[in-house]
Amino acid sequence: MSVEALSALGLSIRVAVVATLLDALIGIPLAYLLARRAFRGRALVDLLVTLPLVLPPTVTGYYLIILLGRRGWLGAPVYALSGWSVAFTWYAAVIAATVMALPLLVRTARAAIESVDRELEKAALTLGRSEWRTALEVTLPLARNGIVAGLVLAFARALGEFGATLMLAGNIPGKTTTVPLAIYTAVQTGEMGEAVALVLALTALSCVVLILAGRLGARAA
Amino acid sequence: MKHRFSVQITKRLPGFTLDVSWTAGDGVAVLFGPSGAGKTLTLQCLAGLVEPDAGRVVVDDRVLFDAEAGVNLPPQQRRVGYVFQGYALFPHLTVAGNVGFGLRGRSRQERERRVVEVLERLDLAGLAHRRPAELSGGQRQRVALGRALAIDPALLLLDEPLSALDSPLRRALRDELRSILSGWGTAAVLVTHDFTEAYRLADRIIVYENGRVIQAAARAELLWQPASEAVARIMGLRNVLHGVVVKAMPDRIQIAWRGHTLEAVNSPTRSYLPPPETPIAFFIRPEYVRLIRKDRSAPDAAHHMNLMRGTVVGEADFGTVWSLRLRLDTPGTPAQGDFDLEVEVPHLVYEILEIERDRRWEFSIHRGSIHVLPT
Repeated sequence: MSVEALSALGLSIRVAVVATLLDALIGIPLAYLLARRAFRGRALVDLLVTLPLVLPPTVTGYYLIILLGRRGWLGAPVYALSGWSVAFTWYAAVIAATVMALPLLVRTARAAIESVDRELEKAALTLGRSEWRTALEVTLPLARNGIVAGLVLAFARALGEFGATLMLAGNIPGKTTTVPLAIYTAVQTGEMGEAVALVLALTALSCVVLILAGRLGARAA
Repeated sequence: MKHRFSVQITKRLPGFTLDVSWTAGDGVAVLFGPSGAGKTLTLQCLAGLVEPDAGRVVVDDRVLFDAEAGVNLPPQQRRVGYVFQGYALFPHLTVAGNVGFGLRGRSRQERERRVVEVLERLDLAGLAHRRPAELSGGQRQRVALGRALAIDPALLLLDEPLSALDSPLRRALRDELRSILSGWGTAAVLVTHDFTEAYRLADRIIVYENGRVIQAAARAELLWQPASEAVARIMGLRNVLHGVVVKAMPDRIQIAWRGHTLEAVNSPTRSYLPPPETPIAFFIRPEYVRLIRKDRSAPDAAHHMNLMRGTVVGEADFGTVWSLRLRLDTPGTPAQGDFDLEVEVPHLVYEILEIERDRRWEFSIHRGSIHVLPT
């Protein structure tokens, strides 16, 4: 495998791990709120989180550029203040992967949380727990299998992200070229050996993740 | 009296309004009534899981809820133990973890001591490290009780605690539950729609119907003096009949029914004196109707009051007793469809009297066995 291919593989893993961690941080509380709380704008939040699942990735990527690009709603003031833009950095790849993978985690975790018997939560309340402690000690541990499944899906999605990453982070070798982008480039330039090596590497990685997740799920059950 | 609590709750839901007010003290108060009468909703209001629209809940001088004063303690501050219908044991925790769940905030040592104590008292000591899924129905019930009792609750709430069990176990656990509740001495409120269960477990019974209390009384009083026909029907009493008052006196009351004039004892505690011609409801317990043996001399009128004649038109074997449906000889429409009275006789009596062969009977009902239901 070439140096470029190895660097793409390293970047992909790094992006997917960071994106999955961010998704866990945002997605698990969000899934809990959507499952258990009625609040204003809940339908809107649900819609926004789910949209990347149904929109073409390039469309999501385009929205991200509008939001975060050098002339974007958020990107422009940041650029004006610091002269720095997130676009075309590896952070952009992380953001694209995070946004694209979030709905998979939120939807799976939400369904798992909704299936936890509410009587158990009520029991915890009568035994002196606040709602917050109840979520931590009862609801989330019981929804664990679903949450783990959601994280695995999110990781896999982040690892394979292509369209939105290309839009926001570009395809800069050694900097923002993740494995899917590297495979595309290799095929375009006729380097079939490189493409096959990366395809096999990504396939193997995905298999390892699925097997680990299966073991984790079996232990929890 | 050690414990004293009063409940006054109004809660409006779409299509249903709960509006109840009752008090209870030491021992077990049973909320009894048909499904959907608001019993569980009352428990949830007591536990703070549902906020009433109006009212006041006071337990041992501690105000848990007072709509006017704006007091509404959250469930975690009420110290009210709740045994849920399906027990709601935490499946991811062991028996010890479940029982100790409410003891957070105490030192580790104290927590462990309390858990051991509770497990021992409830005969669960060997099961501390099991998970709920590995327990029998009876063990689960005891764990649920232990978890609620471990926090030393001011009030213990039990929602249909026996309904998750099948019937042979149910009977055994009903008696076990009774001894646990009296042994711990915690004031308790228990919900059930089964009258036998209510009667077995209660010191005081509060009868619910459609979001209201229609009678609250000591259990013996309820058994012998239901306050109305509605209470009698919810209790599942048989032979609830309608007649017309002939004459009412403080000690006795005469009722015209199906061509007979029945004499009944008037209620000793609340003499009921309706004028003649008033429609009146009454009930006769099927096991208190006496069939008169034909091989004995003619019945003594003073002894066998309310003599009647009839034919057995239907019967059903309930294993230990036969239930007979009697139709009176007097003309007119039978009181209960195609029969007038349901009569229950033990198997032995059924065989001795050869009821299977002999369908025509003279029978009597003692005036003390005809119970008048005030309107």
